Amino acid sequence: MGSVTRQRAVWLAERIFPHEPALRAWLSRRPPVGLELDDIVQETYAILAGLEAVDHIRTPRTYMFEVAKSVILQNLRRSQVVTFEALAEFDSLQTPSDEPSPETAAANRQELGRVAALVATLPPRPREVFILRKIHGLSQKEIAARLNLAESTVEKHVGKALAVLTAKIGRGGIRRLESSSHREPTDQDPSERRPGERRRY
Amino acid sequence: MSPPTKIHLNADRESAADIEAAAFAWAARADRGPLSAEDQGALDAWMAADSRRAGAYARALAADAYLDRARALGPGYQPARHAASPVWTRRRLLAGAGGGVAASLVAALGVTTLWARDRIATPKGDVRRVSLPEGSAVTLNTDTVVRPAFAKAERRIDLVRGEALFDVAHNPARPFRVFADDVRIEAIGTSFTVRRHENGDVEVVVRQGLVDVRRVGSAEGVRLAAATTSRVSGRAPIRPQVLSPEAVDKSLAWREGRLDLTGLTLAEAAAEFARYSDYQIAFATADVGRLEVSGVYSVNDPEGFAKAAALSLGLEARALPAGVTLATRTTS
Repeated sequence: MGSVTRQRAVWLAERIFPHEPALRAWLSRRPPVGLELDDIVQETYAILAGLEAVDHIRTPRTYMFEVAKSVILQNLRRSQVVTFEALAEFDSLQTPSDEPSPETAAANRQELGRVAALVATLPPRPREVFILRKIHGLSQKEIAARLNLAESTVEKHVGKALAVLTAKIGRGGIRRLESSSHREPTDQDPSERRPGERRRY
Repeated sequence: MSPPTKIHLNADRESAADIEAAAFAWAARADRGPLSAEDQGALDAWMAADSRRAGAYARALAADAYLDRARALGPGYQPARHAASPVWTRRRLLAGAGGGVAASLVAALGVTTLWARDRIATPKGDVRRVSLPEGSAVTLNTDTVVRPAFAKAERRIDLVRGEALFDVAHNPARPFRVFADDVRIEAIGTSFTVRRHENGDVEVVVRQGLVDVRRVGSAEGVRLAAATTSRVSGRAPIRPQVLSPEAVDKSLAWREGRLDLTGLTLAEAAAEFARYSDYQIAFATADVGRLEVSGVYSVNDPEGFAKAAALSLGLEARALPAGVTLATRTTS
């Protein structure tokens, strides 16, 4: 598999990544045997990154859910440890519909505020480096010169900041307002939520 | 229901967490600049061994691109002002008037009720992406006002001022039309920018798909395909002009807070910066303004640009109260 083009990365950033917490929440209620949730998420991104074109995808959120489902099904078939019934049951699972609502629009406008709050939670050095890199637009090289650090150290801080922020946004460490507007699949009983999962409003 | 059961079909399988950590390290390396041939080879080999790795790397790049929006926080961003709990609730946002942190965020974001006011705007220096209820999205550049008016038969957006990128959800039954003064741009499932220039010109750049550009009331439209542009000026005929992929990217650099000045004169560059802030870049003589510049700069850093330009062109920079005057160096 080749590298991801900048254009595809931006598409994934805008159309897919914001829905990752919803996908994880959905998957975690139906834990597939033999696969970890993170595996499914990674395989899903691999498929989305490898698509020839994405212009035809009108509802990226639904598309991501369907891709994740196909990853699980393919794995279940291969694993041969599940019964046909289990497979059929999974196959009939409905993926949530994709209708952005006015609340979603409101959530998007609050994204910047969430980013502002999350950046503040970074450890001091990665935070300083992140601010210089992303907000002030300095290159890693310029940051190294300004902070009198080795370039490899700056690179490590960039990686650290990216890892922490991705975990918080992608894993839904904060509940996105976005989740409030989803028509959730009807096959779920609210009592099945994972312990600690915040009640949706 | 119990938490996900972890059954490894293959005990030697690399854990998703390890893959993820390596993917972030690679993304941080790629963030330094184009990878060396050696690094690229190593990355390709690493990804080829497991599809989850390619996925984790794509995810890391996506998250990195997502975080580019932090640019819009502006150089005045102070983490201390946002250090409160990052847990968001709607109630908290609505209680903004009471809480200091929430209030400052509300101010920073310009949170307004979109559909009640029917107007989306950005202040000078800001860039904002807004999703529209039917699946399209509009990204506003600095100092821009749009007014959406969505009806059953038509999705209409008036570009009142400034520049915006439209990512249109395809729906032939409900055309998406942008009006800029007397120019009408109709999308046919697409992504394009429209900019209203100070002198009244309307510039359209099509990134993907197809758009129809015509003057309001005119029966005749001109079709613009992907990677073409047209600058509609006065009553002159509308003419498409083909753009290179680089030129299309360049025209959208503002989304990431960048300004690509390649091929512009100093005066044109100063006019671009003036769109984003009130920092003034003036010239002692008109000759100076005609010098050519190049390079990519942060829209928030006109001062840095002025200094770099002075340095590279051998000019003298004289400070103004809120700006700088560039002059040819007087030989002593």
